[in-house]
Amino acid sequence: MRPRVVAAASGAIALVVALGACTKNTGEGATVDTGRQQTGVIATDPKDSMGPAPAVEGAQPGGTFTIIRETPISHLDPQRTYSFAGLLAAPLFARFLTTFKDDGDGNLVLVGDLAETPGNNVNGDCKVWEFKIKDGVKFEDGRPVTAKEIAYGIARSFDPDLAGGPTYLQEWLADTPQYDTKWDFKANRTALPPGLTTPDDRTLRFEFARPRCDLPFAVSLPATAPLPPDKDTGVNLGNAPFSSGPYKVTRYQAGVEIVMERNEHWDAATDPVRHQYPDRFVWSFGPTPDAASNRVIADNGADQSALSWNYVPASLVARVAGDAALRSRTILSPTPSANQLVINNQRVTDLRVRQALNYAIDREGLVKVLGGQHVAAPMTTLMPPATIGYQAYDAYPAGPNGDLDKARELLGGQTPELVLGAADSSVEQQVATQIKGNLERAGFKITVRNIPDDAKLDEIKKKDNPWDLYLGSWAADWPSGASILPVLYDGRSIRAEGNSNQAYFNDPTINAEFDRVLALPPAEQGPEWAKLDERIMREQAPVVPLYVDVAYLVHGSKAGGIFVSSVFGYPSLVDAHVKP
Amino acid sequence: MLRFLVKRILSAVLTLFAVTVLTFLMFFALPRDPVTGMCPKNCNPERLERVRQELGLRDPLVSQYAGYMKGIVTGRDLGSAQGGRCDAPCLGWSYVNNEAVTDTMARVLPVTLSIVIPAAILWLLLGVGLGMLSALRRGTWLDRVAIGFSLAGASMQLYFVGAVLLLVFVYTLRWLPVPGYTSLFDDPVRWASGLVLAWVSLAFLFSAIYARLFRAQMLETLSEDFVRTARAKGLTRTRVYGRHALRAAITPVVTVAGLDVGAALGGTVITETTFGIRGLGRTAVDAVRAGDLPTIMATVLIAAVFVVLANVLVDLLYAAIDPRVRLG
Repeated sequence: MRPRVVAAASGAIALVVALGACTKNTGEGATVDTGRQQTGVIATDPKDSMGPAPAVEGAQPGGTFTIIRETPISHLDPQRTYSFAGLLAAPLFARFLTTFKDDGDGNLVLVGDLAETPGNNVNGDCKVWEFKIKDGVKFEDGRPVTAKEIAYGIARSFDPDLAGGPTYLQEWLADTPQYDTKWDFKANRTALPPGLTTPDDRTLRFEFARPRCDLPFAVSLPATAPLPPDKDTGVNLGNAPFSSGPYKVTRYQAGVEIVMERNEHWDAATDPVRHQYPDRFVWSFGPTPDAASNRVIADNGADQSALSWNYVPASLVARVAGDAALRSRTILSPTPSANQLVINNQRVTDLRVRQALNYAIDREGLVKVLGGQHVAAPMTTLMPPATIGYQAYDAYPAGPNGDLDKARELLGGQTPELVLGAADSSVEQQVATQIKGNLERAGFKITVRNIPDDAKLDEIKKKDNPWDLYLGSWAADWPSGASILPVLYDGRSIRAEGNSNQAYFNDPTINAEFDRVLALPPAEQGPEWAKLDERIMREQAPVVPLYVDVAYLVHGSKAGGIFVSSVFGYPSLVDAHVKP
Repeated sequence: MLRFLVKRILSAVLTLFAVTVLTFLMFFALPRDPVTGMCPKNCNPERLERVRQELGLRDPLVSQYAGYMKGIVTGRDLGSAQGGRCDAPCLGWSYVNNEAVTDTMARVLPVTLSIVIPAAILWLLLGVGLGMLSALRRGTWLDRVAIGFSLAGASMQLYFVGAVLLLVFVYTLRWLPVPGYTSLFDDPVRWASGLVLAWVSLAFLFSAIYARLFRAQMLETLSEDFVRTARAKGLTRTRVYGRHALRAAITPVVTVAGLDVGAALGGTVITETTFGIRGLGRTAVDAVRAGDLPTIMATVLIAAVFVVLANVLVDLLYAAIDPRVRLG
């Protein structure tokens, strides 16, 4: 009998989703393609979750694929990984309960990775989930991966020593953000957290106090990587993670280099997304984005099969974009990182003022200041285009440069005085200057107050912060509205500090809508989030959506198979290969 | 001599103690919170506070300082969240690099030493050589070339010189590999070829100052009575310049070189950044950017050790070079 899975009966449920983007090489022209219709899917047929992954055209085994990056990866321990580099390096050496098939052309499919499917919603209420674990998945020492090692991996994420990773599973299982007070990992190493059980070696069961319909997405994060208890080296695991993926870490020099070589126990037949083309991956840390890009552009020796991880820096964008010979070696794609001019709704209580801000904004001017279309792409929605269920709309149509007359009309001759808090980084200072000029032409009086760059995030997370406006950004952990809208706009979560709802927006009607949509099966949520997105903006305008970050990457002439992850906005390495 | 050494070492220890106290106060007392860097985006304040307490960050500052110093001298137990037992000299645990700071320093220090020591030898040889040539051939085309060279070096910036050298020798002519660090003991050829551009850049810039300084000193020395006397006694020019004048003229150069080398060993940030090599300087800057306080503390401490050591060495060299200087 086919396992019952997340939503429906058909082989795969296509969701109406995002205006995605071409993430292929820009050989045909260096423009961001925002016209592609993206399809988001949660696979229901176990065949979709089995390997091998389709062969990459022209890819051959062999060679060393190098990734050059300025700063080290903060954690290789899957339970602690939360940086983009960590999230995209982890699939090379770890398997997760679920994962996304992402073809780089905008087609995103959630499939089982260690699990046979993306989960079985046992009672249909999202409170009890079961995952059947595949046969044939092995660790780097040849031991089979069972539900027990996956459960142990999740259990160790409760350890406060291992801070840094995502906390969804811990908080959901413990039903409290203070999860480590509810279950003490160190005192219960041989037990499992409340709600997590392994009825047998091939079954992993989650039982939650409340509906957790996003679980299939949440378990696509590396925190669900398996680990045998005897291989747990605590905080040192990040220096030598125990592999269940196609590569294993054979050399780790913190801050200098990581070498990953083939894991001979990895079985392609069990893996729906990964390949094992290069003999080894080398992560080389140190060069600045400028130096890394220059190296890759020069295309010498080993750098021919290298990728500069960081986006092409602003100082080189014009040169790279203007060099026709480099087109086949660059990738241009919008990312899911969305940026807003956040309005502090506790201070700016007049809806007309918030609407006027939305009409006034000059997105085209802003994108120019940021460095052009290779750096940013304008957006008018709360959710970025890469979100499942995304529908494009513009609640305050004002053209690319804003409608100053409409803004002035809404202000009715008043001159609202607003304080814009801006980080003292060079980029944000430039953006703040542009926004100040833009808004003052529409009739606002804007005072820019600088905030130390490294303190800004903490400061704007404080409920009683003294600014009316500030620049905010959000990159969701999975492309579902559930990881964006309730996180950023549910007023019931507002506390004294540490707020993700930095607009301090609190509307009981909207909060109730969050509850309603969150209780829907994941496959039905997408269109509902899109409707709610538009409703929030039309009725309340709590922020001014500005732009999504654009990934602009350059790689060597022999580096193949790279695309920008639709989920995280940085290079995915699962198809990477070295061209002969 | 022994008395001098003991006095200088005591003075050095006191200086280093003062540096540790000041650095500790400056960085650990500032409202920077290392735990925030460990926090994922949805971390909540209550949990952060618990982590702070578990890491001892809520202990009195004096207690934290005592623990830190004890770690340097005897080692200490940092707890399971920070890798457990940390042997002396324990410089703490980096929450950012997720490793003992001593390990980080052990890794990056050889890189900086490999950049600075050969570069210093090069810039001293070049600087003193050019200065000597310029002084002895004063007014000739050789002097003018040497002055021009030193003017060019003194007015350029390392990130420009480095970028030009990279463009020419690495990216265009492809004569050299992309700069990087390989251990001298693993592969001496790769070690040298990976660092030679950094040495040349540093030598070009630094030697300019030394050439000008040494030329001025040499000219002044050559006009001294003892030089005229030596020549009048029939000593050869080589012996007069190489033995008598050189020793007298080089003393200020040694002073400046001691300070320069000491400071450079504390971190050649711009050189390391230009050539994409991660030594002490880059590590220090990254630590500041990331708010990695234990690493900041260690880099400041190590830089101070180098400056203090360089000063002691300069004092000793004075006595060796100039017999008029007596230590005591």
